[in-house]
Amino acid sequence: MSTAATTSTTIAPDRSGHAVRRYVRDTVLLTARSLRSIPRVPERLLDVTIQPIVFILLFLYVFGSAIHVPGISYKDYLFPGIIGQSLAFGIIGAGVATSNDMTEGVVDRFRSLPISRLSIITGQVMGQFCEALLGMVIVVVFGLLLGWNPHMSLGHGIELLGLMLLAIFAFTWAGVLAGMMVRSSDAMQGVGFIVIFPLSFMAGTFVPIAGMDAIPRAIAEWDPIAALVASVRELTQGVHSSGSWQLEHPQLAMTLWCLLILAICVPLALRRFNRTLAS
Amino acid sequence: MSNSTAPTPSTAPARSTAPAIEAHGLTKRFGDFTAVDALDLHVDTGAVVSLLGPNGAGKTTMVRMLATLLRPDAGYARIAGYDVVADANRVRQVISLTGQFAALDKNLTAAENLRLMAHLRGHGRVAARKLTAQLIERFDIVEFRDRLIKNISGGQRRRVDLAAGLIDKPQLLVLDEPTTGLDPRSRQVVWSTIRELVTEGVTLLLTTQYLEEADALADRVVLIDHGREIAAGTPAQLKAQVGEQRVDVVATDGAELEQLASVLDEHFTTSIAREQRTVSVPAPNDVADLARVTHAISDSRIAVDEVALRRPTLDDAFLALTGHPAEEQQSDLTPKQGAAV
Repeated sequence: MSTAATTSTTIAPDRSGHAVRRYVRDTVLLTARSLRSIPRVPERLLDVTIQPIVFILLFLYVFGSAIHVPGISYKDYLFPGIIGQSLAFGIIGAGVATSNDMTEGVVDRFRSLPISRLSIITGQVMGQFCEALLGMVIVVVFGLLLGWNPHMSLGHGIELLGLMLLAIFAFTWAGVLAGMMVRSSDAMQGVGFIVIFPLSFMAGTFVPIAGMDAIPRAIAEWDPIAALVASVRELTQGVHSSGSWQLEHPQLAMTLWCLLILAICVPLALRRFNRTLAS
Repeated sequence: MSNSTAPTPSTAPARSTAPAIEAHGLTKRFGDFTAVDALDLHVDTGAVVSLLGPNGAGKTTMVRMLATLLRPDAGYARIAGYDVVADANRVRQVISLTGQFAALDKNLTAAENLRLMAHLRGHGRVAARKLTAQLIERFDIVEFRDRLIKNISGGQRRRVDLAAGLIDKPQLLVLDEPTTGLDPRSRQVVWSTIRELVTEGVTLLLTTQYLEEADALADRVVLIDHGREIAAGTPAQLKAQVGEQRVDVVATDGAELEQLASVLDEHFTTSIAREQRTVSVPAPNDVADLARVTHAISDSRIAVDEVALRRPTLDDAFLALTGHPAEEQQSDLTPKQGAAV
């Protein structure tokens, strides 16, 4: 990390005893700021709510009749896929919100305040994390209302919750990093459409991977979103996927994917943030 | 500062004696483009200094380095004795930057923004509420205190922005183009707010594209272009270098131009611009000279289209000091400007 990063986290000696407490306090303040805008800009939740809901309706009632997955009702097959996809869309949501913030000058003001720069970025991540979580809850509730029937033990439920939280956390960091690297929120939308969109479609979301053509199948078998979808499907419906190591051990694979994403994105995001920002 | 949690350094030996800003050889490059080129700047505590220059001259880059938002590539800068790189956190405690674009959360209300800034500066709930109430009163925000920033006018945003920068009374206030993009009336309001702050003894560094603004607010002006200092001095000195203000008289009939000049020659040193049918006379005494000119003309009964007092503009300053107008350089820089500002 650059020298700027080292100096920026140094707290003046007269307050050194409170460094951690101040960091937590500033993070909470900045998270709250981020959350406050949800009811005021509800369209920010579109990516993680309306979009998945549209896909649910389309695939359940329009395309679904043409798709037959052996051994499971299409409804129960579809919802784990939708959950995985909407978590992945959280990357775009976090990226767009971050790139908006970075280009609007308010972050510059935060950076010129005597607060830890780490708290600015963790505040951003926590805000986006809560937003994605809220989107997740809406999608799950909507699914249950439409008759999705997950059946799992308490242990699997806890495992699923833990895995989803970890995935949201990792995806949020990835989105925040992407949001800082692109020039505008429009560019972020574009990147999302080119990268996240296809990856989230070919992840065994709507149709089984086994039936895909060779090239998309090869990609899908090592698509992190596929590991997530396979995990949710295994934990909620007891359906085992097969095809590649990650599809046969989806929970372990997804945990490793998340840790890898975090190991890459967290230091890069911090570094990027301490460097200059456009404005 | 009554609140004990306010993070203003109470144990800062350097601050009483050190100048507010001391920069030497400060340089910032973006790729091949040198935005700030070995710039020196000295601002005494209590002074009001203006960085004047066209778009892309390096003003914003300069203040961003001073406010610890950008790392200089060469040279050093100290704010109240603290180095902007080594002591960045101390610098952030004494400096307040109000940027070119309102640095507010547009999805929060004016009051929520101010309260957030107070909290982030370390004030507790009660103190933050009290400070916010004071600032709202003082900057005349009462009317729109509970409206979202995105729904208020540019001039109102500026006021909230200025207020947000003044929590904890910074030792050094940096205003980056505080009136750019404002309508004339809002500009007057912002000017009077700034004047009020100055009378309270705030040390102020102000960037602007308008000679008029630097003249109205600052006691020292540093004219910069291409990241370099072109001239520095009091506004009066700068204007003297640029050329005095003058009265231009436009004759209705070009044939009467000589006659008009000879009438004015009795009182002034005149110069004639034939194509413009204009006789110019220097007017160091401002409106008094304008009155004398008008008087002389009405006595002579020569028909004129226009009698006007001309004050030197930033363009005149650039023309006089560099030999080319500011606009021209601006367009030269446009492709690289994105990186510079």
